[in-house]
Amino acid sequence: MASSTPTATTLFRRLCWDGTVPIEVKIDSKELPAGSDRTLESFYIRAPRVSYLPLLIQEVKTFLFDLVLDEASAKDMKTDDWWFEAEGGALLKWHWPVGLLYDLHLVAHPAPDFQMKPFTIILHLASPPTDKLLFTPSIETCKQSFMGQLKEADFLRWGNTKRVTGLRKEDQDGLWEGIVEHNFDDFWRIASKIAPSPNPLAPPLTPNPSSPTLPAPSSRPASTQPPSGSDRDNAYSVRSVPVRIYLPDGPVIQDLVPPFLEDGLPHSLNLFLSAQLPLLFKPSPTSPLTPVDPNAPKSNLAFALIQGVIAPLDCEMAWLGACMSGADGWVNVCIGLDK
Amino acid sequence: MESLQTPSSPDPDDRKTKILVNVLFKGVGGAPVLNRNKFSIATTVKYQSLLVFLRKQLESKANDPLFTYINGAFSPAPDDTISNLYKCFSTDGMLIVYYSSVPAWG
Repeated sequence: MASSTPTATTLFRRLCWDGTVPIEVKIDSKELPAGSDRTLESFYIRAPRVSYLPLLIQEVKTFLFDLVLDEASAKDMKTDDWWFEAEGGALLKWHWPVGLLYDLHLVAHPAPDFQMKPFTIILHLASPPTDKLLFTPSIETCKQSFMGQLKEADFLRWGNTKRVTGLRKEDQDGLWEGIVEHNFDDFWRIASKIAPSPNPLAPPLTPNPSSPTLPAPSSRPASTQPPSGSDRDNAYSVRSVPVRIYLPDGPVIQDLVPPFLEDGLPHSLNLFLSAQLPLLFKPSPTSPLTPVDPNAPKSNLAFALIQGVIAPLDCEMAWLGACMSGADGWVNVCIGLDK
Repeated sequence: MESLQTPSSPDPDDRKTKILVNVLFKGVGGAPVLNRNKFSIATTVKYQSLLVFLRKQLESKANDPLFTYINGAFSPAPDDTISNLYKCFSTDGMLIVYYSSVPAWG
């Protein structure tokens, strides 16, 4: 861990990294070869949020080969043809982090009182619909996709991909290995060279100079103006925070998300969501400068789930980008409807 | 300008309600040059469909290697939409997609 990374940031990154989700893998029994033990049809895993489905296959394979398949079928089984589906038939994307798949499932199928229930997924052993899966399901393509996302996030932040492409080949590979091995220190030793950091030294924005100026996790530069370009790793100096909004069964929304708005105020989750989804989120009453959409709801009709946590809407976007992004650098905001 | 239809909506009437944006293809690393390299593309089109369209323009087969880079920097996810990519990465009203038959960047 780079010594320059503030403790609070490390804490949030650690919490995101250590987060796991319960998954029940059911094997499509129609595709099991004759001679398999059909009494063992489910396998449970606690998968890291930052992992990907292809990385879970090894564990599932061990279970399947040791307990379910007979020796002859195990010999012929090719994991290249394996693919996953949610219960109900929705394809599960290989290139989306497991935590995102889980959160999206949670907002689309809300359980009463938000119980942490296993996410049931169906494993198919044959005939992958490659046209719909978009990738040949393999660990190598998953790695390439991850690197692509990392570069896209880098480009959004700084207008180029020099931070990622400037890493030595072994460091680029080390990032992926950190995910495969789920090793926080190995991953963040390299990732802290490309991820932005909230500025820990600047006092919080306050009109009262005598008030305590302890650095808060969401501390921001004292000036309401964006800091100068010399502050090269500051989360508040980026051009845009890499953020995507995921709606249940809807499109994925992506846009430029500057850390400060034109009026100089920090861009908050509330302002971002009320601008992107005005029918679900109302603009915050604390920002009188924001024009009020007459169609905006009287109170919010939805909530935002980030890394499995219902995010307070006054979170600043730059802070979310530094502390709550996934391993690929993206902040994934899943929208759930209030009942 | 010619427009790329989404495969799911070939209805010509549907085109009128669509938002179109400019996409510019630029070949690098000895890639074949297109006779026409500027197209209006519907924002609802997915990046993967754009690649199928580019292959058609290049008369390349599905298995021929084709590497594409937005702004010469990164390859987006194939399920990302032209709308999202245009909003975030267009330059002077144009989404620039570089293509090559060999890996060209990073």
